[in-house]
Amino acid sequence: MTRAVRLAARQALLEQRSFWRSAEYALFTFAFPLMILLLIGAANVGSRLPGTDIKNTTVFVPGILAFGVIVAAYVNLGSKMAVLRHDGVLKRLRTTPLPSGAYLGGLLVSTIATAILIAAATGLIGALAFGAVPRPGGLLELAGGLLLGIVCFASLGLAVSSVITSAESAGPVAYATFLPIAIISGVFDPTFSGLPGWLSHLVAVFPVKSLAQILQNAYAVRPFSPWDLANLGLWTVAGASFTAWRFRWHS
Amino acid sequence: MTDQLAVQVRDLRMKFGSTQVLHGVSFEVRYGEVFCLLGPNGAGKTTTLEILEGFRPPTGGTVRVLGLDPAAHAARLRERAGMVLQECGFPRQARVGELIDMWRSYYPKPRPLGDLLAVVELDEVRNTQVRKLSGGQRRRLDFALALAGDPDLVFLDEPTTGFDPEARRRCWAAIENLRKLGKTIVLTTHYLDEAERLADRIAILRAGRIELAGTTQEVAALAGLATRISFSTPSALRRGQVPLPQGIDLAVRGPESVCHTGNPGMTMRLLLDWASEHSLGDLYGLAVTAPSLEDTYLQLTGSDQANGDHT
Repeated sequence: MTRAVRLAARQALLEQRSFWRSAEYALFTFAFPLMILLLIGAANVGSRLPGTDIKNTTVFVPGILAFGVIVAAYVNLGSKMAVLRHDGVLKRLRTTPLPSGAYLGGLLVSTIATAILIAAATGLIGALAFGAVPRPGGLLELAGGLLLGIVCFASLGLAVSSVITSAESAGPVAYATFLPIAIISGVFDPTFSGLPGWLSHLVAVFPVKSLAQILQNAYAVRPFSPWDLANLGLWTVAGASFTAWRFRWHS
Repeated sequence: MTDQLAVQVRDLRMKFGSTQVLHGVSFEVRYGEVFCLLGPNGAGKTTTLEILEGFRPPTGGTVRVLGLDPAAHAARLRERAGMVLQECGFPRQARVGELIDMWRSYYPKPRPLGDLLAVVELDEVRNTQVRKLSGGQRRRLDFALALAGDPDLVFLDEPTTGFDPEARRRCWAAIENLRKLGKTIVLTTHYLDEAERLADRIAILRAGRIELAGTTQEVAALAGLATRISFSTPSALRRGQVPLPQGIDLAVRGPESVCHTGNPGMTMRLLLDWASEHSLGDLYGLAVTAPSLEDTYLQLTGSDQANGDHT
């Protein structure tokens, strides 16, 4: 057991090193959410949510926190696994005595580290540029929401990697399965509304809006429902189950 | 070690769906030897190897690798056996030395990095990114990774398929280096020259059955192939001035006379007596050729060239 933990820690360090080695990849993983934060954030300065005195940016910044978490956990981990599988790296790892739990654990820890760094950068820039800071009473909710969100979307990333059939399509598939949902979940537009009823019900089923609402509630008291927490938990279990069922070491 | 066998395979059977791929394969590999499974594509070589490596449980038969049942003790086996699979990729960003070091960390008793680089002759590219390596260099990196845990046994699945002669030569040199380290090596190939050059013992696998097993010479002898004796046809024989020798199946083919025999000593004596009796002197160009692995292989794998004359 201790050996597995040590191997997982080492694997996580190796993953981080190779992530930062590919400067381009690391830069864009960080730059994408941060650019959206600054550009769309600037367009929302001075506006308030209709009928409230809550600034648009106060709910927009945590929305981008959710977006960054999903990019790091779902898109990056999912496409990385698909590429590793397609390239035969996973198959090669199977020839070593490295326990699969230690390997996947290492990848997960590295993903959590990357996602927390993106969240920290987003939160910091959000505070400096737009004065958006969490409620004093919302810090625990923020930390818990981030962690649950990372684990949930990492499990969904692993799940989606199992159905991606080529290295080339890994990135596009990961983005195409989440960006449309992120948009209709209002992640990029705090005042987003006007969806037909059936669509807004559908959006509530996906985990993107749930994560965004939990994080938004940590910044400004918003209508909070325990459903959002339960929903993330359900998606985590669904993702993990699908991964356990469909996971392959070779393409 | 209770037995001296690195690998023991008894009556191995494998079925995929309704297709029987292996029909009772048996062979043994001793410690320290290079053993080659030779056979055409589709013979079941890779399937056999995958069973030995613990990737597939067999449908029937018993398998012991380093005293372990691979299907039941895959994790323990992988600490002591290195595996080079066909076409396995590397992490995209990794450098050679760094990647080998990463692999070393997976094993309880890794071999030193410098040592590994020397064995596979990759010293000069240790800081190069893996994606910049040539095909042959990648294959030798495969070897280095398989050796990272200092295994007792190394499996090589078609190690030089698709390589140019220079890349093959360097791969062979790396395999020779492995042998010098005292590693037991089990390799598959469909190249005769590779088997002949590298292997101490060979098993010819065809359509899921071992046709023959033994040293190169034993395999050829077991196949019942004849020794070939040839010499330049003397002009007197060519003009029909001397009779053909008695008791020898000699064929005069223009400038060359050839016979095939299962008893080369006796045949030579008869031939030389006949030559001196008819004052033919020394038979010019006299050559005795033992049956080659190539003859054996071609015969077993269904080519009709094996028993014929190969000039």
